[in-house]
Amino acid sequence: MTGDLPQLLINGLLAGTQLAVPAIGFTTIFAVLRFPSFAIASHATIGAYAGYIANVWLGLPAGVALLAAFIVAGLFGVATDEIALRRLRTSGPLTVAIASVALTIVLENLVRFGFGNDQRGYALAVLRDWRVDLGALGMVRIGPQQVQNAGAAAVAMGLLFLFLGFTRTGKMMRAVADNPMLASLKGIDADRVAQLANFIGMGLAGFGGMLVAMDTAVDPLTGFRVMLSIFAAAVVGGLGSIPGAVLGAFVVGVGEEFSIILLDPTYRTAVGFLAILIVLSFRPRGLLGERAI
Amino acid sequence: MTLRTSRRAALLGGLAAPFVSRLAAAQTGPIRLGTLTPQTGAGGPYGPAMVKVAQALVGEINAAGGVAGRRIELVSEDDETNPDAGVRAARKLIDVEKVSAIIGTWASAVTTAVAPLCWENKVMLFTVSGADSITKLPHQGYIIRTQPNTYLQSATAAKYLASTGAKTVFALSAQTPFAVDSYNRLSDVLAQGGAKAVGDVIYDASKTSFRSEIDQALKTKPDALFLNSYTPDLAVILRELFRAGYEGRKFTFGYAANAKLLDTVGAEVAEGLISFSPSPDLDSPAFAKVRAILGAEPDPYSCQVHDHISLAALAIGKAGAGTGTAIHDNLRAIGDAAGTKITSAVEGLKLLAAGKAVNFEGASGPCKFTPAGDIEGCRFRFDVAEKGKYRLLSLI
Repeated sequence: MTGDLPQLLINGLLAGTQLAVPAIGFTTIFAVLRFPSFAIASHATIGAYAGYIANVWLGLPAGVALLAAFIVAGLFGVATDEIALRRLRTSGPLTVAIASVALTIVLENLVRFGFGNDQRGYALAVLRDWRVDLGALGMVRIGPQQVQNAGAAAVAMGLLFLFLGFTRTGKMMRAVADNPMLASLKGIDADRVAQLANFIGMGLAGFGGMLVAMDTAVDPLTGFRVMLSIFAAAVVGGLGSIPGAVLGAFVVGVGEEFSIILLDPTYRTAVGFLAILIVLSFRPRGLLGERAI
Repeated sequence: MTLRTSRRAALLGGLAAPFVSRLAAAQTGPIRLGTLTPQTGAGGPYGPAMVKVAQALVGEINAAGGVAGRRIELVSEDDETNPDAGVRAARKLIDVEKVSAIIGTWASAVTTAVAPLCWENKVMLFTVSGADSITKLPHQGYIIRTQPNTYLQSATAAKYLASTGAKTVFALSAQTPFAVDSYNRLSDVLAQGGAKAVGDVIYDASKTSFRSEIDQALKTKPDALFLNSYTPDLAVILRELFRAGYEGRKFTFGYAANAKLLDTVGAEVAEGLISFSPSPDLDSPAFAKVRAILGAEPDPYSCQVHDHISLAALAIGKAGAGTGTAIHDNLRAIGDAAGTKITSAVEGLKLLAAGKAVNFEGASGPCKFTPAGDIEGCRFRFDVAEKGKYRLLSLI
């Protein structure tokens, strides 16, 4: 089994990049709004459908469809927050978190109402894997599509870092995340920043949702299926920390793959949550701690 | 006060009257059969056709003089593909309508919930549900199932795989209550056919990638893969098999390999996928009748309901009595191998009235049952995906 390690590592890293994008979205919303938004699941699904409409109905290439997934899911995120969640924020994070679960189920069913339960696929050719000879380590196979997806994920993450690090608006967001009280004293409009956080967070969820759907299929449960792993990644890395979400995604992705050496694949999901328990036992604020946005 | 009492008595008497007359009528009046099918919920696409077939068939039997000198009256209820609603409807059928048999329960959860009511009240239950556990209930012979269970389906799959010349078979199974049983049966029957089950991975179907699971399977270099999957995970697995360059046989269940799957994964990825499913007896006159009733290509469940009504009517004809117990006691006698082969209830009832033995074979196939109430065998169809379409390979 140890001979499989290189292949399992590659599989895990590729799974991790896919998980990282929506995990960043989740953690961004947490950093600014201080509640775990489980509505990320339905927004990932909405992104996958937006990408489907762009790619299949309108015939646009995958790259443009990913952009459409980001924008549509982001706009939905702002709208649903405005309608359903915003007024509840004064009642505490638990209330908003529960409402976000309700919201995600409502949205999922709206998607089902509009598109039906059927699976759909993108108009993309499925490519054969590359085979790479690592000499003593054996052969590994790498999927061109997964590498492309990982590249798209890396670009999205890179742009977000640039935005947060070097633009005025990005710095405003970080200020609110760091200390909302101080930020408001400095005259930063908290509502605008909240909207922006929702747009970026849910947009990334939609982007990640489409990446997942490119590998699987577009259906009303696309986002729900990865929700638990996204949550695990964000918590392991440290809720509210963007580098933490990336690290957490790799820990969960690689951990789930490596677990196959010892455990039956049936228990893969449990590994992510075992990781949460172990990490939180030793580092209650996650691997990188919170508020490192 | 006296006025009120007498008024109440009159009211009660008035309310009770229909029940009294109905009770009296139960001995000489029509024989009641109930259908309990899903008109709504997940089974909603199937229920209406099932009822339509039942009504047409009962009409035909009544037009030919009924059964044992009595008319059959059909009472149809909706189980909403929901055990709660199913139990309420079954209570009505049994307690109020006094049916001798309940026909057509579709979802395994509904059948499991309704079954105890049936056997406790000695009402025969005919079902199209597939879960193995159903016929393992302590039903004292009051359940008959025309849908093949996992055990029979796995054996059929194994026989087919061995017949294609596959020597080694690896199973990739979604985590379901029947995954382990299914693999064990597959492995036993493969061994009888000179082939071998070389391994089994039970995966978590909610995952979005199965690369490592597939690596495990492909390491054994199997001649064939048995994909015990549902459509969403099958789509992922087929893509990953294609990427991995797997060229061996791919075999799965018909319910997973539907038309949507081909749209989702595309023709190239699905190419060569063989799927199998229980099939009605496409050449049978009974099948042709169901097709004529529906005016469309029948689904397996409508065909099975045709057989349920026929079996119940023939058993009543054989017994000369219309109770659930009469159906229970005579059901197997109408599949008498020495009797005249018949495919319609009307034809059979005439022979039975003349004191002759009959051997009923219906739209779903030969209706022979094990002591537990499972169908002994049925037809299966095998389809292969070619250039984005399914083509019928064979019917066995």
